[in-house]
Amino acid sequence: MHTVWVRLNAVVFFGLSALLGFSVLAAISKIGHANRHVPDVKTLKLKRLKSLKSHGGVDRALLNFDLHVDLNPAFHWNIKQLFVYVVASYKSDKNKNNQIVLWDKIVEATDPPESKIIKQDSIFVKYALVDQGADLRGRDVELQIMWDHMPLTGLLYMGEQDKSTVSSFTLPYDYTSGR
Amino acid sequence: MIKDMIDKQVLELKKLWMNKRQLLFQLLNLAMIVFSALMIWKGLMFVTKSESPVVVVLSGSMEPAFQRGDILFLNNAVEQVGVGDVVVFKIKDRDIPIVHRILKVHTKPDNTVELLTKGDNNRVDDRGLYAPGQLWLKREDILGKAVGTLRYVGMVTIALNDYPVLKYVLVGMMGLFVLTSKEG
Repeated sequence: MHTVWVRLNAVVFFGLSALLGFSVLAAISKIGHANRHVPDVKTLKLKRLKSLKSHGGVDRALLNFDLHVDLNPAFHWNIKQLFVYVVASYKSDKNKNNQIVLWDKIVEATDPPESKIIKQDSIFVKYALVDQGADLRGRDVELQIMWDHMPLTGLLYMGEQDKSTVSSFTLPYDYTSGR
Repeated sequence: MIKDMIDKQVLELKKLWMNKRQLLFQLLNLAMIVFSALMIWKGLMFVTKSESPVVVVLSGSMEPAFQRGDILFLNNAVEQVGVGDVVVFKIKDRDIPIVHRILKVHTKPDNTVELLTKGDNNRVDDRGLYAPGQLWLKREDILGKAVGTLRYVGMVTIALNDYPVLKYVLVGMMGLFVLTSKEG
């Protein structure tokens, strides 16, 4: 019985299968790309601690940092955007580890190549470094840049700055309100 | 033309009703399709340890990463979720799970975590979305970590949700189809 319905069904089904097939092909075409092409992190370090205060019972630090990174290598044709973020991690008495995003940026694949190079000094944090308690004073804080590859279709995967190049700093032992 | 088609379908159904053996065969066919779909879903649930291994993005709070209608594949078999991961979580007494990114992770000495999330496209973090008085998400609030995406496929789901009538029409049509279409 070759009614319109049967034909419509066949066309839709074939279309969907083709779409799925191409999506899978697109996804597997770039497997392993992240191992060979890693963004080049030149600098990520504290520039200036603006303040370290007690803010409603919890400690809060505001700071500026320098960031020089070339993100171009991470892009390929199945990447829609890169989500780049700077993470501060430290240990406290209450917690084994604390990881806090200080700053993030969405870099889209359609952006021109030169804007995929971040070369900025003294970036002010987007999100303050806030502890769960009052335990930031004198803590060693590591700054690390990480990025999330968001594909057009397929698998999401993460990347991060090599641990050996990660910079750290020690917060002052007393509250400061900056210079 | 439509009346013609409906007449044809009715005729087919009548024919099928007379031929009990054929009817049984078609019903079994229908059951097989339904059960294989169910099996795939349950199998995915088992592998990913997530109560909902595939979700459709319903809001624009993660744009431009995910748009309305994108499909996300979740994995909940990961022991720990990390900062920057896109996760789907559920708030108590709320039906619809939320897809957002982890902004803070506080790991306790016993390895439990307290998390704070935020949508890429939102200006503030998610504290306002959590249950009243809730400051942190726990690991068990998380339905899974987004590991893969397919675009646009979820549009069908959104359409079905917005126009519930469409659901019955579609299911009815599919059922009719399987019943009346013949092999070969």
